[in-house]
Amino acid sequence: MATEGSVRIMHILATEGLTKRFPTVTALDRLTVDVGTGVTGLVGANGAGKSTLIKILLGLLPPSAGGAKVLDLDVTTQGTQIRRIVGYMPEHDCLPPDVSATEFVVHLAQMSGLPRTAARERAADVLRHVGLAEERYRAMGGYSTGMKQRVKLAQALVHDPKMIFLDEPTNGLDPRGRDEMLALIRRIGTEFGISVLVTSHLLGELERICDHVIVIDAGRLLRSSAITEFTQATQSLTVEVEEGVQPLAERLAEHGQQVTQHGRLLLVKVSGPETFDAIRDAVVDLDLCLIRMEQGRHRIEDVFREEAADVV
Amino acid sequence: MSSEIYDIGYRHYDGPRLGPGYATRALTLHSLRGIFGLGRTARSKIMPFLLAIIMLLPAVVSIAMMALLQQRGMAYSAFAVIMQPVIAIFLAAQAPTVVAPDLRYRVLPLYLSRPVAVVQYVSAKVIAMTAALFMLVALPLTLIYVGELLIDLPGPPQTKEYLGALTVALLLSVLLTAFGLALASLTPRRGLGVASVIAVYLLSLAAVPVIYGTLLSLNEDAAARWAWLLNPFWLLDAVQVWLFGSTPNSEGGYPPGPAPALITLALIAFAIGVLALRYRKAAAQ
Repeated sequence: MATEGSVRIMHILATEGLTKRFPTVTALDRLTVDVGTGVTGLVGANGAGKSTLIKILLGLLPPSAGGAKVLDLDVTTQGTQIRRIVGYMPEHDCLPPDVSATEFVVHLAQMSGLPRTAARERAADVLRHVGLAEERYRAMGGYSTGMKQRVKLAQALVHDPKMIFLDEPTNGLDPRGRDEMLALIRRIGTEFGISVLVTSHLLGELERICDHVIVIDAGRLLRSSAITEFTQATQSLTVEVEEGVQPLAERLAEHGQQVTQHGRLLLVKVSGPETFDAIRDAVVDLDLCLIRMEQGRHRIEDVFREEAADVV
Repeated sequence: MSSEIYDIGYRHYDGPRLGPGYATRALTLHSLRGIFGLGRTARSKIMPFLLAIIMLLPAVVSIAMMALLQQRGMAYSAFAVIMQPVIAIFLAAQAPTVVAPDLRYRVLPLYLSRPVAVVQYVSAKVIAMTAALFMLVALPLTLIYVGELLIDLPGPPQTKEYLGALTVALLLSVLLTAFGLALASLTPRRGLGVASVIAVYLLSLAAVPVIYGTLLSLNEDAAARWAWLLNPFWLLDAVQVWLFGSTPNSEGGYPPGPAPALITLALIAFAIGVLALRYRKAAAQ
């Protein structure tokens, strides 16, 4: 590739005062964001404007005001070029039941401009990557939700896009399917080198795979920042011990740690590496059985709640 | 271990990416194959092929008559009118397979998120259905013509009649396609689509003798001839009479002049307009 190694900074995705008004509702309100490579999470409640934003970014819906660029291409004037090098996985069902996954993905690869033989090779490749084995030759009507989501992802990847938009890819999946899908999205963003914009109304799952998170509510930007910035302010550790929660809490408090007790669990605010040492020492001193010590969950959610409260 | 499969990781694609023209052609071919059930289950091939074979039977009979009796069978210009129920059943049975699944199962957004625009999508569907109907009518006509040339009947071959019938078959295919697809796209459930297309055809078939008979009994002979134009097959026969001077396949003939042709064009424009509106709405969802 000619651009490889060049210093040119490419805007994977940038919006400037992006506004979309429908007759009865304002779906996007002066949204300005700038997104780099890797996996970007787009978080918001249902109806926050996520799907509208994706449609505008695909060049399928003209903005009412402002503008947006995807891979340095303008959404209002260069929609066709964008759609050649971008993949899209919709939220809703979109698979005809009487066609096999292979046939379906080959056909859509051709629709993206791949010649037939290339389309076949790519379809076989991506179906393998998303984890569909022999069942890819069967009609999709008999597929489980997990398999259907994989085919939907495969069709978005088949033409080797530079960026993909995934609209609620974990919808309807069981916990295991959800974990597998998230791991796959992470691989796409890192190993495959394809930038990902993934939406979800579940905040917890995005923090596991995203480099960058955009939070929108009622079409307005609440926050856009790298995941590290997001979690810094509220980093906490969840500590679980078999017995003696109370003494441990007291001991940690004595050593100047901020501790809150949630039933059998302790939430300890991380003030630095010494927090981990303090917990270890306290557990050893008190001769307790340490079951679990993990990074706190729902960190983005906390930020989201705080900021939503600020805005209102 | 030679049987071990190595995961070679993700490979990027740096081959050609062809334009929307290629995608439209591929979609047309895909839809055309779908109409004849090619690449589908054996069950979906039965109906289109059965009807195509029925369409060929008169051609076989015509050739046999020419070979054995030195006498012409069915006239080129009469073929579409006489075979109209078969053509109508083909349209009703296969038009929904062209447009209904993509609407019903919401596949359309996957096309539109690619370089295929809604205009190209609809054009591909219209071209595919038109081609299928044209093949259905043109193949037996061509068979009769080839038979005529090989058997070498007394008198010159009816090349002008044959080409006239082909031209009209193409116009008929466009008209039937426009209506068939518009109706099928408004009723995305396949069964409903079949029923709605066949219902409209039967209505156009039943209306002709009723209105013609009524007007005739009122001694309105000139007005009665307009009744034939309510049915697409007789409408196109009237166009054929005007364009190529063929013998009318109706009782009492047709209204003279270009009126049938203008009606045909207006109907095609109307149905294409309905189709465009339907897809504009579908694309906005």
